[in-house]
Amino acid sequence: MKNRFKVLRAERDWTQADLANALDVSRQTIIAIEKGKYDPSLSLAFKAAKLFDMQIEDIFQADEDL
Amino acid sequence: MNNIQDSSNKSVTGKSSMAAKNKRNVKALATWTSAWLVSLALVAFGPKLLWNYDNVFTLCAIFVNLLMGYKMIVANKQHLIDLDELQQRIHFVAMAFSLGISMVFGAVFGLLEAVRLVEFAPNPSSVLFVMGISYSVAMAVAHRKYS
Repeated sequence: MKNRFKVLRAERDWTQADLANALDVSRQTIIAIEKGKYDPSLSLAFKAAKLFDMQIEDIFQADEDL
Repeated sequence: MNNIQDSSNKSVTGKSSMAAKNKRNVKALATWTSAWLVSLALVAFGPKLLWNYDNVFTLCAIFVNLLMGYKMIVANKQHLIDLDELQQRIHFVAMAFSLGISMVFGAVFGLLEAVRLVEFAPNPSSVLFVMGISYSVAMAVAHRKYS
């Protein structure tokens, strides 16, 4: 699954630590999501959508082969 | 920065920050693990060095040890519950490896004397070392994978 975490975070001038704190996760989790090494749970995806004030599908996109 | 400034100490869920929870849980876990180790040492050395094998004192020491063990288990459970989802997954993978390796190692280690491959009676506590080492290695590998 692809995501726009890094772009959205950069647009808001937030650090990874800021975002981790706001989503109540570790910075390692933010790094892993940004690098595409980890797909967040649905609840974390909803939290991110609420924080970015966007729809989930505007942040996360399924891989082409799905 | 907009609303993220407001959440410097509280997440969007309104709960206390993860770092603060983690720090508190690690402190509790360290405290109860230390207490458990001290009480285990008391069970191991107390009968010989302190109360000359008096069964009442030994039973009391065992009771205290079990109580400290219970508190340590509860503290560890709380520590795991309060981790975020990726950290929980890392621990889950490490536990799966550790449990599997310990089971496989423990089963064959227990047979070594019976099949006359070694002269000494295998000590079951050796499995604890295997468990600890395999858990640490699996944690390191999983952290590396997600970093």
